[in-house]
Parts: sequence; structure tokens; C-alpha cells
Amino acid sequence: MQSADNSMLTELGKRLVGESLSDATLQRATEDTPDFVILPWVNVVKIGGQSIMDRGRSAVMPLIDEIVDNLSRHKMILGTGAGTRARHIYSLAIDLGMPVGVLTVLGTAVAWQNAQMLQYLLAKHGIAFLEPEGFPSLPHYLMERGAVICQGMPPYKLWQENPEIGRIPPQRTDTGCFLIAEVFGARKMIYVKDEDGLYTADPKKDPAAQHIARVSVQELLARDQNDLVVERAVLDLMLTARHIREIQFVNGLKPGQLSAALAGEPVGTVIFNAAPKGAVASTAR
Amino acid sequence: MNSRSVDGRPEAQHVVSRLMRESLVDKQVIAGTEAPVRAILPRLNVIHIGGMSIMDRGSSALMPLLDEIIVNQDRHTQVVGVGPGVRGRHIFAVGLDLGLPTGALATLAAKSSAQNAYIVACLLADSGFVYLEAPFIVQLLPAMLAAARGAVFNGIPPYDLWEHPPAIGKIPPHGSDTGSYLVGEVFGARSVILVKDVDGIYAADPKTNPDVEFITEISVAELIARELPTLPIEPVALELLARAKLARSIRIINGLVPGNLTRALDGEAVGTLIYR
Repeated sequence: MQSADNSMLTELGKRLVGESLSDATLQRATEDTPDFVILPWVNVVKIGGQSIMDRGRSAVMPLIDEIVDNLSRHKMILGTGAGTRARHIYSLAIDLGMPVGVLTVLGTAVAWQNAQMLQYLLAKHGIAFLEPEGFPSLPHYLMERGAVICQGMPPYKLWQENPEIGRIPPQRTDTGCFLIAEVFGARKMIYVKDEDGLYTADPKKDPAAQHIARVSVQELLARDQNDLVVERAVLDLMLTARHIREIQFVNGLKPGQLSAALAGEPVGTVIFNAAPKGAVASTAR
Repeated sequence: MNSRSVDGRPEAQHVVSRLMRESLVDKQVIAGTEAPVRAILPRLNVIHIGGMSIMDRGSSALMPLLDEIIVNQDRHTQVVGVGPGVRGRHIFAVGLDLGLPTGALATLAAKSSAQNAYIVACLLADSGFVYLEAPFIVQLLPAMLAAARGAVFNGIPPYDLWEHPPAIGKIPPHGSDTGSYLVGEVFGARSVILVKDVDGIYAADPKTNPDVEFITEISVAELIARELPTLPIEPVALELLARAKLARSIRIINGLVPGNLTRALDGEAVGTLIYR
């Protein structure tokens, strides 16, 4: 077998070119490499689809004003959710027997529509909409204009994994935005939805539900709730993430909550990783 | 349009559907979406050519395999995924040394398998194969297969910066075995065949245990439960096979042995079959 000239490789490098990547000892050896942070000052802000965008002007415009107001203070990657049109096309496509990968292609188009609408509303402030292929230009736009818009779905398309149960694509816009924050080593991952964060039950259905200000991802997973404020994939990925230690949920219908979260205040709900940094996740794969 | 609910908040503007107003995170809602899946391209065979195991060996390993693909063209619809091989490993080594995160490593390594896929497409071009990047797989694969006589694609799935941080270490978990398998699953392919440089799966390392049992057929659940230290297939591909709706098996064959691919395409028991 031909291999690279080993003379310039580190000891780890020699193992990487010669051994099986599924070998756990080799995987563990990669833990000791440095963690370079690509964009330590960026904030990833996810704008909910059903929770914000589908409400139209009354919910979106005040949030736009708040985003504009923060442009000079905080650099933001604005990702969009999908929402009710995704629910419609998922229902239709499931009925027609389409696989999860096709549902993902369809759902991506809805998040894209919301991103494009958001970009029209922010265009006069010089804000660009970047698709995944445009991400190498993202730091330039952030430095020049303070924010960029992207659609929140990860670019998995037909390559989306099947869920363990059912047919809904398991990794959607919450996950896509989280992974953007993780790969860039973002300062904050903020989800803008239509509730003040987490409750002990769905506050839309149960008036006795109580607000949770701070909870560990480990505790949340152990509770095994029927419903959650965020995609389960995000919680699983929090356990293996190397950069993002906490995520925050704020109410985009309440003016000032996004600004407060960007300023580092504990509004809404914070889900944090209680394991010490660098600990090997036990429950995740 | 901007109706308000009883608590005075602006109401979302819904499109009527079964999932309207539902939380897509709700377990009961999710379970309620279980339904049969239709195979989009049921005649498709996905053939994955290993990077280190086949491509890096050069012409002595690759050309006989490609000849066998061409010989089977009249009888089988084939799309070919290709792995990154040693250049993918090298860029992991340099990237890890620089401290780059998993998503960056995935983006970089995908170019190494794209190179290999492009080479395979050039070598099969005269037989009517086309090279399709991920966006064209999404938009054009069925049309291409109607017009062309096969397609070659990048085995590494387009997860790029959105690759998952793995449970241990930083190596991107969704490699080219997984990407090729997922193409088979989403299109409902007739078969997914991983072409490597080993006969299949042994119950232990045959180099140190000469009398070890060769596994001709095994369920994916049992294979995962056996926790073999190294396998000629990515662990994530096995996890996804366990959740398969359509592509319910993966066959691993030795591509250095002439005739193996033909036998696998004909459904004969060659190599190791992992099934759900």
C-alpha cells in the first residue's frame, strides 16, 4: 500500500495514516491535540420558524429592530427555523412514502424561505444571506457588517440519518445552528423562540407549568421528557461538543430579551453541560 | 392576518396539516409519523470503492475492479461512491496538529475523496459514467441514470462544517462508508456493496488468530454487540443500518479478488453480509 512520506508527520500523524480510524485508542489520542477557536467572538442566534417567522410582522419586526440595534456591539450569525410550511410538507411527503433524506431536502427549502425573507428585511443594513458554500466568506461579512444570515438546516439533504422512531428528520434547524456555533467556537448559542425558555410542561397546553432558569443537559436527558424546547440531537451533541458549553433560550416576543442574552445576562433558560471540560461523554455515541 | 390569541400575543399563521401546531420534538408526535417508505430507485446498486484499501493501491487494484463494473453494466444499474484514502488521513494529521475542529476536518477530507471520485469518473467516462457532486445527486441522479450508464459520487457525505463532534476524539464520524450507505438508503437501493481489501469480517484479527472464524452473515445488532476492536466498516454506518427503512443490508467484499463484485451484484454469498 502506498502511504504518505512519514518523515514530516507527528507520532499521531503516523498513526493516522497507518491505522484504522475506528480504533478507540487512536481516537482517544486525538483528544490531546489543541483546540483552535476559529471565531471566538461570534454569536449564533437562531430565529424560530413556527415560533417567530410564521407570526409575521408583529413578531418579526420588533426582533429585526433589536438585531439592528445590536449590530455595532455583537457579531451575529442569524440562522432561521422552518415552521408551519415544513410541517405541511413533511405531512404530505410522509403520506407519499418519501424517505427522510427527501423530507430534509424539502424542509431545507422552508428554512431557506425564512432566511431569504429575513434577508430582505435586513438588506438595507448591508446584511448578506450565505448558503453553506459561501461560508468561507462569512468572517469578512461579520467583520464588515456585524451579522450574516444563513438557513438553519444542516446541509445533510439526502444524507440525513433516519431517526430511531418515526419519519421526521431528526437533525433540523436547532441542530444546524448548534453545529455552526460548535465548529466556530462561538461565544454564545442563543435560540429565539416564543416562550421564556424551558418549563416543567408545555406552557401552551398546561397553565401550571413552571419556568426553569438553568438546567444541565445531563439532568434534562435523564428526565426523558415527552416534549422539549429543542431538538434532542442538540442535547446529544452538547455531550460531545468541545467548544459550546451552554445554550440559551429567550422569548423573541418580549423586547430586550435577545439584547440581554447577547450582553451575557441570564434571561430565559440556560442549558449547560455539567461534565468537566474534556470529559469523555458516556451517554452519547 | 395578524390575529391575536387570548393572551394578547401575535398568533402564528399556520398552514393546515396533520403536524400543524405540533411540537416536532414530542415523542408521541414523532412516533405517529411512522409509515411505509417508497423506494425511489429500487434497481440501483451502490458500490463503494475503499480509499486506502483500493484507490491508494493504484492501477493494479483499481483497473480490474473497474473492468468488472463495466462488464456488469448491461445487467446492473451501478453508482459508485469513493473513499478519500491516505490523503484524507494526512490532512487529518495536519489539521489536528493545527487544532482544527471536527467540522473543519470533515470539510477538508471531503476534497480528498472528491479527487478519488473524479479519477474513477474519468476512468469510467468512456463507458458512460458521469461524476455527480452532492447537489447533482439531489437534483439529477434519476435523470442521469436514464441518460448515462452510471454515476460516480464522493463517498464522504456533505456534512462539512456541520459534522458531529464524535464521542471520543475529533475524527469526523461520518466517513465515506457512511455516505455511500446513506445514498443507498435514501434511494432504496437494491444493494450496497463495500469494496475493500479484506474478505469481510472475522471474529478476531486473522493476523494474530489464524484459526479464527470468518463471518459470512451477521445481523447488525449482533455485530455491534460483539464490540470487535476494529472493523472494515465505519461504526456509524452500522448504527444507521440498524435504523434502515429500505437498504437493509451491506455486503463487504474483497475487491482484490476478481469475480467478487459480479457475485455480489448477482446476490451470491460472497464476503460478509451485515443485515438488519
